[in-house]
Amino acid sequence: MDRLDEMLLELKDTSELMIDLAYSSLLYNNKEIAEEVVLMEDMLDELANNIQRQAIERVVQDRDEGKAFAVIKLAAAVEEISDAAMQIASVTLREDEPHPVIRLSIKDADTIITLAEVKEGSDLVGATLGKVRLASQSGMWVVAIKRDRKYVYGPNKSTKLELGDVIISRGPPDAEEYFQDLCSGEEHLEEH
Amino acid sequence: MYELGKDQRLEKYDLAHTTVREILTEMKDVSEIMVDLAYASIMFDSPEIAEEVENLEEDMEELSKTIRIKAMLSARTHKDAAKLSSLLEVAAASRRISNAAGDIVKLIDWEVDKRPFLSFILREAEEKIKRLTLKEGSDMVGRSIGELGVESETGMRIIAIKRGKRWIYDPEEDTGLKASDTLIVRGTDDGYDILRSFATGEEKWPVYPEEEGED
Repeated sequence: MDRLDEMLLELKDTSELMIDLAYSSLLYNNKEIAEEVVLMEDMLDELANNIQRQAIERVVQDRDEGKAFAVIKLAAAVEEISDAAMQIASVTLREDEPHPVIRLSIKDADTIITLAEVKEGSDLVGATLGKVRLASQSGMWVVAIKRDRKYVYGPNKSTKLELGDVIISRGPPDAEEYFQDLCSGEEHLEEH
Repeated sequence: MYELGKDQRLEKYDLAHTTVREILTEMKDVSEIMVDLAYASIMFDSPEIAEEVENLEEDMEELSKTIRIKAMLSARTHKDAAKLSSLLEVAAASRRISNAAGDIVKLIDWEVDKRPFLSFILREAEEKIKRLTLKEGSDMVGRSIGELGVESETGMRIIAIKRGKRWIYDPEEDTGLKASDTLIVRGTDDGYDILRSFATGEEKWPVYPEEEGED
């Protein structure tokens, strides 16, 4: 995978993260999270510009206009998704208390977003995400972790969970309870 | 492939009787499945999936029109109207996501030989879109997606099922699985390996004892 491909992949993953965060900012009426979406948008715009510039350079160098065209089109579509995330986050930033129906609608969706604190006695304390395999074991995908006052976005396998972390995750409604109990320590990971 | 006309497709939303809340939920769900399907159409070079994305884009247009009308009719005061305008902005954002999905599938129309790099990139994404086939000996056969709890068990979301020549997009909880179904799924590598071991029949689907005190 060359640099251009890597950047395109980062663009795609970031846009999806932004959507999840934007909805969670609305769900929890959390302006901090909405602000983070705004920051990510600036970063993503720059990334998209770089991608488009490099795609054009490639046409000049390799005369591979087909690939450049596809890259530019895809980057534009992904940027559109991030703009939608911004639009959602802007509602959180503007409103003191968003319309209650918005929250209810997000809660009813096929994919829900939930937030839980890692408590004393939880199997998650001190474990890495790679080790606990939260996504495949609980169905919940970790979108972000709030530690003290900072957020860790799009954590990876080596991200270690700590006592007091607040995990924002996304998944099917029937996985929420297990996930919450896992964080509180009422439920434990299966042995493998 | 079975095909439904636009009116028939829209029947399932029952727009006359749904609330603003239900339409907004539907728009969020449809927009997200559209993005997954759009990437899947590119990865598996499937004009059929691309066509479904285009159909869903039309549905979204209709949902978006209906939610605007319903919201306007429900505003009683200036304050109501202000709050509802924000709600409509969220609806507009999900429409925007669906438009982006519509743009992604257009990539399938051109430059077939120039596209392989796209599926290559998508294969490397954090959450991957993959496919697998359900074997005769799998104990998933004959059971529904909801009964199994596929996503909570494996973290893999089934975004589409190919059954013979027919496609089922965004299957429901009560959609039953059959032998030889091809499932298009989204999730992690790890989740995929787990699901594949169940789908091939290598592993039995886990059974949990009923917990007491629950309904």
